[in-house]
Amino acid sequence: MLIQKHGHTMNIRLREYRVVRSMGSDYEMRDVYFKLMEFLLFEFKPLLPETIEKYKSSIGDLFLKIRRYENQDRDILQERIKNLSHQVREFVDLVERNTFRLLSETRDLKSNIERVDYREKVHKASFWIEYYILPLNRILDVKHSESVTSGILDVSEYANRKRLDFADETIRVEFEKLYVQLIQTNSDLLRQSKVLVNELLPLLERIRTESLILTGWIEFLRNPYKMDTPPLLKGSRTMVYAKDMLFKVREFFEQFMQNETITIEDGVVEFDKWIFDREHFKTQLMANMPVNDFFGWCYKELKKDFKDIETDKFFALCGLLFDADLQIDFPKKSERVNLKTTTSSISLPKLKIEPAIKIK
Amino acid sequence: MVYPSNHRQIVEELMNGKFILSNEEHFNSLKENEQFYTEFFKVSFDLQLNLKTEYAFLLSKDSQENFSRDVSIFIAILSYELDKDGRNFMEVLDFHEFTLEEVDGYFDNSSFIDLIESNKALRDPDSRRTLINGMHRRNIVSKNFDDRFSFTQAHKVFVDFAKELAMKKMRPENAEVN
Repeated sequence: MLIQKHGHTMNIRLREYRVVRSMGSDYEMRDVYFKLMEFLLFEFKPLLPETIEKYKSSIGDLFLKIRRYENQDRDILQERIKNLSHQVREFVDLVERNTFRLLSETRDLKSNIERVDYREKVHKASFWIEYYILPLNRILDVKHSESVTSGILDVSEYANRKRLDFADETIRVEFEKLYVQLIQTNSDLLRQSKVLVNELLPLLERIRTESLILTGWIEFLRNPYKMDTPPLLKGSRTMVYAKDMLFKVREFFEQFMQNETITIEDGVVEFDKWIFDREHFKTQLMANMPVNDFFGWCYKELKKDFKDIETDKFFALCGLLFDADLQIDFPKKSERVNLKTTTSSISLPKLKIEPAIKIK
Repeated sequence: MVYPSNHRQIVEELMNGKFILSNEEHFNSLKENEQFYTEFFKVSFDLQLNLKTEYAFLLSKDSQENFSRDVSIFIAILSYELDKDGRNFMEVLDFHEFTLEEVDGYFDNSSFIDLIESNKALRDPDSRRTLINGMHRRNIVSKNFDDRFSFTQAHKVFVDFAKELAMKKMRPENAEVN
């Protein structure tokens, strides 16, 4: 059809690239391209298990020769191991594709979008079970000694031993690779076998019930990313990289912004600018010499200028006591004078002050 | 202006994408003032209020909502696996209390494993717990304990979606008309 549509040039080109080959007056796509198309479209032709079963003999033959001639030519042994690995890979691939196709067919039956009647469904299900599912299960059943899976398990055990004790290192490495591959293979086959046992074998039982909702779900799961799901409201969580983040942050901070006008006035609080004039008080003191009660004199002097005397002013004046020009006489009796400042009551000894005698 | 009772709770929950369920107190206020709220959400936010007998929620035009898709896949696979297990999946979704281990068992042994492993919200038990917590926040499931949950009436949105999809697929001419 393709060739008819695009004419003679396409015909020549496709044959030149070995995409198609002539079949009498017709053309046929070569197998490698057919498989590629199957893979790309993810649509596989169901294979009769007989086609898959042939791997039992190909894997078995290679395994037999490897064991029997393991001490002969090294190169041919290496080649046989690689071929065995290739055969196993092909086998697993075919099993996976077949299971996938069978799942798809049986889901169709369960979904029953065509709404075929029950008798027809049973007929179809019996067909799939008899010709495809049961034989495939026999191939995969590890408990069955004749199954391919059981054969692969034997190879795996052998490879495990040889990867450790084979004399030649190159061959040991080949066995190691084969063993690793077979571990993965066994786990893949186990998964396929589970699908067969749990989902495909009970098909007759499963198609008994039908539900419109399940039909919908099966159809949805065929391609869930290409269907519109119920349109829920997106949560209002804001990401830091959201387009409106700037405005949201601004709005958030604006609520804490102080909008009232704050006026800061210059302080009008009066503070005492009194500075102790040492010379003035010293002159006053010297003029009143001798002074019998130094602290009492200080108090009286300050009282002349201030109604209430602050402690720091009082102590500033008391500093005169340390002047080198004054001599302090301590009283013999313990006489004290009590003075009161704005913040404290102070009890002080009565000290007599005289001018110091200067020795020339 | 006098607003209906529980107005703030109704608006906040619906705007957060939450379902309001018929067994909740503020559902009645919403139902009694259906016309007001339908207009309110339409005029204020251009959103459509969907009020059913069992639940209410807001509809968004935003089709990039992954959450809805993830939940749909989750319920779809769970329903399929429950049916495969021989259980009446509709009854189970309606009344059963699931344990997280039970869900993990169904997902880990599902034949949809390729789809599960390729979905970020379903690929492993931790991701599924996050999704279930998300459904809990939106009232699609209720959690009585940390490791147990059951579906609320809100899950019927997704069940209805599956039903409609099946109908469309069975009668493609209807889908075209719609």
